[in-house]
Amino acid sequence: MSGGGPPRKRNFKIEAFKHRVELDPKYAERTWKVLEHAIHEIYNHNASGLSFEELYRSAYNMVLHKYGEKLYNGLESTMTWRLKEISKSIEAAQGGLFLEELNAKWMDHNKALQMIRDILMYMDRTYVPTSHRTPVHELGLNLWRDHIIHYPMIHGRLLDTLLDLIHRERMGEVINRGLMRSITKMLMDLGPAVYQDDFEKPFLEVSASFYSGESQEFIECCDCGNYLKKAERRLNEEMERVSHYLDAGSEAKITSVVEKEMIANHMHRLVHMENSGLVNMLIDDKYEDLGRMYTLFRRVPDGLSTIRDMMTSYLRETGKHLVTDPERLKDPVEFVQCLLNEKDKHDKIINVAFGNDKTFQNALNSSFEFFINLNNRSPEFISLYVDDKLRKGLKGATEEDVEGILDKVMMLFRYLQEKDVFEKYYKQHLAKRLLSGKTVSDDAERSMIVKLKTECGYQFTSKLEGMFTDMKTSQDTMQDFYAKKSEELGDGPTLDVHILTTGSWPTQPSPPCSLPPEILAVCEKFRGYYLGTHSGRRLTWQTNMGTADIKATFGKSQKHELNVSTYQMCVLMLFNTSDGLSYKDIEQATEIPSTDLKRCLQSLACVKGKNVLRKEPMSKDISEDDTFYFNDKFTSKLVKVKIGTVVAAKESEPEKQETRQRVEEDRKPQIEAAIVRIMKSRRVLDHNSIVSEVTKQLQARFLPNPVIIKKRIESLIEREFLERDKADRKLYRYLA
Amino acid sequence: CCSSSSVSLSFVVSSPLIQALAREGIQAVMVGKGGEAAASAQHKEEHEEDGDMVGVVKLISAEGFEFVIDKKAAMVSNTLRNMLTSPGGFAETREGEVRFPEISTAILEKICQYFYWSLHYASGKETAEFPIEPEITLELMMAANYLDT
Repeated sequence: MSGGGPPRKRNFKIEAFKHRVELDPKYAERTWKVLEHAIHEIYNHNASGLSFEELYRSAYNMVLHKYGEKLYNGLESTMTWRLKEISKSIEAAQGGLFLEELNAKWMDHNKALQMIRDILMYMDRTYVPTSHRTPVHELGLNLWRDHIIHYPMIHGRLLDTLLDLIHRERMGEVINRGLMRSITKMLMDLGPAVYQDDFEKPFLEVSASFYSGESQEFIECCDCGNYLKKAERRLNEEMERVSHYLDAGSEAKITSVVEKEMIANHMHRLVHMENSGLVNMLIDDKYEDLGRMYTLFRRVPDGLSTIRDMMTSYLRETGKHLVTDPERLKDPVEFVQCLLNEKDKHDKIINVAFGNDKTFQNALNSSFEFFINLNNRSPEFISLYVDDKLRKGLKGATEEDVEGILDKVMMLFRYLQEKDVFEKYYKQHLAKRLLSGKTVSDDAERSMIVKLKTECGYQFTSKLEGMFTDMKTSQDTMQDFYAKKSEELGDGPTLDVHILTTGSWPTQPSPPCSLPPEILAVCEKFRGYYLGTHSGRRLTWQTNMGTADIKATFGKSQKHELNVSTYQMCVLMLFNTSDGLSYKDIEQATEIPSTDLKRCLQSLACVKGKNVLRKEPMSKDISEDDTFYFNDKFTSKLVKVKIGTVVAAKESEPEKQETRQRVEEDRKPQIEAAIVRIMKSRRVLDHNSIVSEVTKQLQARFLPNPVIIKKRIESLIEREFLERDKADRKLYRYLA
Repeated sequence: CCSSSSVSLSFVVSSPLIQALAREGIQAVMVGKGGEAAASAQHKEEHEEDGDMVGVVKLISAEGFEFVIDKKAAMVSNTLRNMLTSPGGFAETREGEVRFPEISTAILEKICQYFYWSLHYASGKETAEFPIEPEITLELMMAANYLDT
């Protein structure tokens, strides 16, 4: 068809092609001239007079007649020549016009290139692939790269101009971003390698030195918070820059430059900065600054661990200071409240500023665990805090509030290594609450037990639960007792007995004091009743744990109801028969242990407003030479007067020693049981493995001391549960 | 002589029409619905010039016959597509007509029919055969190569 236009032939003859070629030896040269002229016209914006069809047909015919190479080479040299012309005009552009000119010429070239490609499409389709030449479009880009971008008079100037513009923008000037966008896009169009080698690499280098200098300047004159603000702004600026006029692939590279220069290089200095570093931010709850530090530092390697380490060491230090401050130890409730506040504060920081980062939570937890256990009174104090809350602190609080407080306490509890010590104290405090009826809310008490149970298992709370059961059965027993024996008892004092199962309660063996005869009579009746219904039991009176309500009449016949302890009652009853008694008399008559007696007298005679007894000589403390008188002049606005015992809420030093000793005593069987359990399954094991296994097993309750474990092993060997291996003395064998 | 001259032409058998021609070979005889499409090609009225794909374009054969077809149909040919979409305003784009001094009326007509046929059936949902008379096969093949169709 392309051969020629003669009308249809029924039997095809295609010799027309050859004819024309033969007829016109100058055919190729002439056709090329047409095309060459057209290319020039296209570059001159003069294409409207050209016929696409004609040009296409010319190129088509050239290729068809094997002049493809001539066509291709002609194109290449024509385009090269045009580009050399263009480079001269770009080079001649003055100052700011340079980029504009470059961009304008690039646009022209692109358009021309597309037109040329269109008319030479047939060559692109057939000649180029078969002879392995570069397609027209790519050829045009390559020529542009070689003759414009890499032209020595343009190459350096282009880079300098771009970098200068970026620098000026960094310094606050407004630049033509659209133009920048076009130029960087041009570099990308020429191939990623051109963009990277001719622009990106030097850009990153210049940026690195810029930010290295700037960060140095900032860090000398800014505080930590301000520095971070500036760094954040710079980082955002760079990201914005990329999105506006750089290739998206540059974002990660330039941000990593800023991160390295502005953050990683100054990380430690920032965190430690005096008066404004991490510690100050934590102290002043600077959530915004902390959040900024977190997000910035997260971008660099080791950034978060730097913050975390610093926070951990700060927490440990302040925590250590807190738990060892003798002032704080004076008030256990305040002490625990302080810990809780500290925990709340940092929880909030981690939540608000550190995105609830698990690793930070862990750091916080481990810090608390570290310093809470530095003070071996922590278990006691935490129990006292609960005691305080359950006695009075929760009055009027809603159920959720109660749960909230208990949950927080449980959190501290989890940090404790000596959970068994806590249990010991909790038992004591719970017993006091139950026996004196001071518990505010039964639900709260039970909720606490449930929490302990879920945390530590049934074993941990079985005794505590036993105490609640005892309270309930006692109530039933008393009802039954009064139902059956009421006529027998007559008008005597009312008795309320709590029957405490041995073992469940923290009873200290204390000799019963001698009760006043009136009381003793009722007690004996109850004993008779109880032993009558339950055979084979033994009742021991715990006079140190009871309370009494007594009616007293004072000087001007005012009547008051006094709420006192059993001991106090015994003392007061003595004054029914005499007005004045010496300390020795009282001690002899009541047989109350002297420490308890002193405390009890102190609360009866030395507390203002509750001094139903008068003491001679007047002083704050009780001495063994004092004499006591019934205080006729006692007055009170209240009808019911509650006389508390002066009890130190927390334990005194000897009591503490005693409790500790009991704890140690209790641990022995637990350690032994653990050893036997382990040896039973392992049969043979060396010493160190036993120690580590035992520690692991008992971790939930306490941290056993290796020396004690060793002693227990020795004891078990003595009792022939274990034996040493005959060959290897370090090995133990289990003896079934 | 036939075969020798066709050998001297280096065709690249790539476009659909050429492939169809090659498949059918010299024996190409077909009947089908393709004819219906061709009818619309004959409409010589309607002259709109809008965006790239709408409007019509006038194709003029060697003998001066004018075929006005939808641009959409003309775009079936890659050559015409480039011609009509190339930037810079060649004469054809401005005037909306293309002269083919080397394509005879009969072939151009067949080509136009093919454009519509292709537009209609190229999706593959419906099929119909495109009739090609054996005597025009070679000429048609060369035109197809030229038009990249």
